[in-house]
Amino acid sequence: MVKPVSRREFLNLLAAAGGAGAVVKAGAALGIMPADAAASTLDLAAGNGRSAVILGGGISGLATGYELGKAGWDCTILEASHRCGGRIFTVRHGTLIDELGNRQYCEFDDEPHMYFNAGAARIPNTHRTLLNYCKELGVELEIFINENKTCWVQDDAMLGGKPVRNIEYTTHLRGFVAEMMVKAMHETDMDEPFTEKEAEILLGMIRSFGDLSEDDVYRGSLNAGFDSGGFLSQGVQKDVIAFRDLLKTPFAMRLLSTNEGETGPILLQARGGMDQITEGFLRQVGDRVSYRAMVASIQVRDDGVDVAYDQDGARRQIRADYCFNCIPTHLVTGFEHNFPADYVRALKHVLRGEAYKAAFQAKERFWEKQDIYGGISWMNNRSQQIWYPVAGIHRQKGVILAAYDYGGGMYHTRMTQQERVEAHLADGENVHADYRNLVEKPVTVGWHRMNHMLGCSARWRRSFREGWTGETEQHYRTLQAPVNGRHYMIGDQISMRSAWMESALLSAHWAMADLDRRLRNAPA
Amino acid sequence: MIRLALICLLCIPSLASAAEREPFDDRYCTTCHGTDGRGNEGVQAPRLAGMEPWYLKRQLENYRDGIRGAHPDDIEGLAMQPMAAMLTDESIQDIIEWVGGWNYVPAEHTISGDLDAGRALYQPCATCHGADAEGNEALGAPALAGQNDWYMVTQLRNFLAGYRGVHPRDVYGAQMRVMTTGLSGENDINNVVAYINSLSD
Repeated sequence: MVKPVSRREFLNLLAAAGGAGAVVKAGAALGIMPADAAASTLDLAAGNGRSAVILGGGISGLATGYELGKAGWDCTILEASHRCGGRIFTVRHGTLIDELGNRQYCEFDDEPHMYFNAGAARIPNTHRTLLNYCKELGVELEIFINENKTCWVQDDAMLGGKPVRNIEYTTHLRGFVAEMMVKAMHETDMDEPFTEKEAEILLGMIRSFGDLSEDDVYRGSLNAGFDSGGFLSQGVQKDVIAFRDLLKTPFAMRLLSTNEGETGPILLQARGGMDQITEGFLRQVGDRVSYRAMVASIQVRDDGVDVAYDQDGARRQIRADYCFNCIPTHLVTGFEHNFPADYVRALKHVLRGEAYKAAFQAKERFWEKQDIYGGISWMNNRSQQIWYPVAGIHRQKGVILAAYDYGGGMYHTRMTQQERVEAHLADGENVHADYRNLVEKPVTVGWHRMNHMLGCSARWRRSFREGWTGETEQHYRTLQAPVNGRHYMIGDQISMRSAWMESALLSAHWAMADLDRRLRNAPA
Repeated sequence: MIRLALICLLCIPSLASAAEREPFDDRYCTTCHGTDGRGNEGVQAPRLAGMEPWYLKRQLENYRDGIRGAHPDDIEGLAMQPMAAMLTDESIQDIIEWVGGWNYVPAEHTISGDLDAGRALYQPCATCHGADAEGNEALGAPALAGQNDWYMVTQLRNFLAGYRGVHPRDVYGAQMRVMTTGLSGENDINNVVAYINSLSD
């Protein structure tokens, strides 16, 4: 009888026989080695005069109009507001920020690099479907700097509130952690037996992780940045911050990761503002969009969908064979409709996102005088983050993100504009001494109150540890499936990973592929 | 000084750039309150269609003047307050006329409870709101029948918790606050709202 060989043993045998090249080839065939990344693409059957009404000009609606249009469908996109893009929202000179009760017009200088991505701001390198569209639509991309260790870390509880460089903080933290690990290696009998060779590599890894001295003690490191010198004279090491002081701030639990979720540190952005993605789609489908058209009624029939909408003070009607709807679920519940009860229950199950962002125009790029080019400073206060722009390096002015509250409360949203601005000035002053005098022309965006959206990304009720409950997943499946085969909800809200453009696109692709499959299988 | 200058910039758009500004729609009501003001549970915004003009006027004025929607825990009221803060007497009249043109559609029922218990709890309410919850202008009490039941639950909770009806100028709210002390907890609130639902069946 032949002894079964595990996949890994098999690879080892191959490597022994044929060298590394053999492993790479065979690995790809077995699905262990990475294959080239593939974006989701569609190959839709010809529309044959079929029509679709698309509700909402967010990225999923625009992509649906684009794809169906390519297949020869007759598409109409109804957008309630004065612009497309939804939460892809770039604020620049003259932009109307239509927040309920806090309407603003942006007063930034009228220059290409003076913009603020108030919604979508980062594209992970693994969001292939979005990246594929950017390529196809000619949307120029550039690298977004998310993680920059020269940025600041500030916590009132640490060192009397004195900001320290991220690189100092994390280098010291690694040093002390490594010191403890080495001690543990020497003092404990490990459950896991290491060979001498393995132990040597492990110790070496820990020493290099923490820049330990030869006696395995951490005494600071030049990797935390030079105090002075370093080029024409010997670099002088910065003073060590005591381990106890580092542990005064909860940032210890966060800053050693350079990931952004499951991706990073490489992220991208559209050159000139994320709304260039919207513009890319609009170059293809702009003539199909009807603006300031607010949906009033959705009636799903056996042979089509009737939509009523208010525009120019009149109620208008449109009928289409199919309807794709990316309007937020919590607004759909306020329309006249004939959806089934379980669908309405699912629509009501999804909660509104509460995220909030604010930005200032900086009169000078004061961060560059501190060696900071892009990246994020972390503050343990309610404004939480300051983002420095990649756009316009070494120009006179720039736009910085002054606060990013990702939700879980509406601390800033509830404030007046004046209170919000003062809060961000006071918070930012802890990091940049002259902040109050260096910034001007504030804009704030409380997504919970943005007209025609009334929420940031959908929040599905779930536990992050336990994932989705069965009930939540049932509601999700209910909303993903079409009503009567005619009405599809789409958008990042109909995904298990809301808030990302990739999710919105994949949701739209799922709906179109589902309809396409049903149409191909339908008796002629 | 700088802050003052910033605030002025935000408040008073300069005339020179006003011409090129993106125009905004000033009829925001249906964004939250749904098609023809039918109410939208998704954003907890109540039905306006069919609401008495005098009651709508009083509430808009209360919101505008900070008498309602000022308590930090009145989440829905806090969203409404800045909207009303922009209103003039004329625009309030304009809204009332607009709302008056909407079709009245009784709200769907989403809450059930013990109708007998609810009937007993409702008796003091009937003095002002009427035996059929039809409302009474002379007493300043709005109709309850046909209103969104989830909204009535929220408001009863708000009165009980002191989020509404505590401002010294909120005379009617203060009365309501006294009346809600007869309700002890979620069950009572559900039962009385379920009974009000039954009056519009």
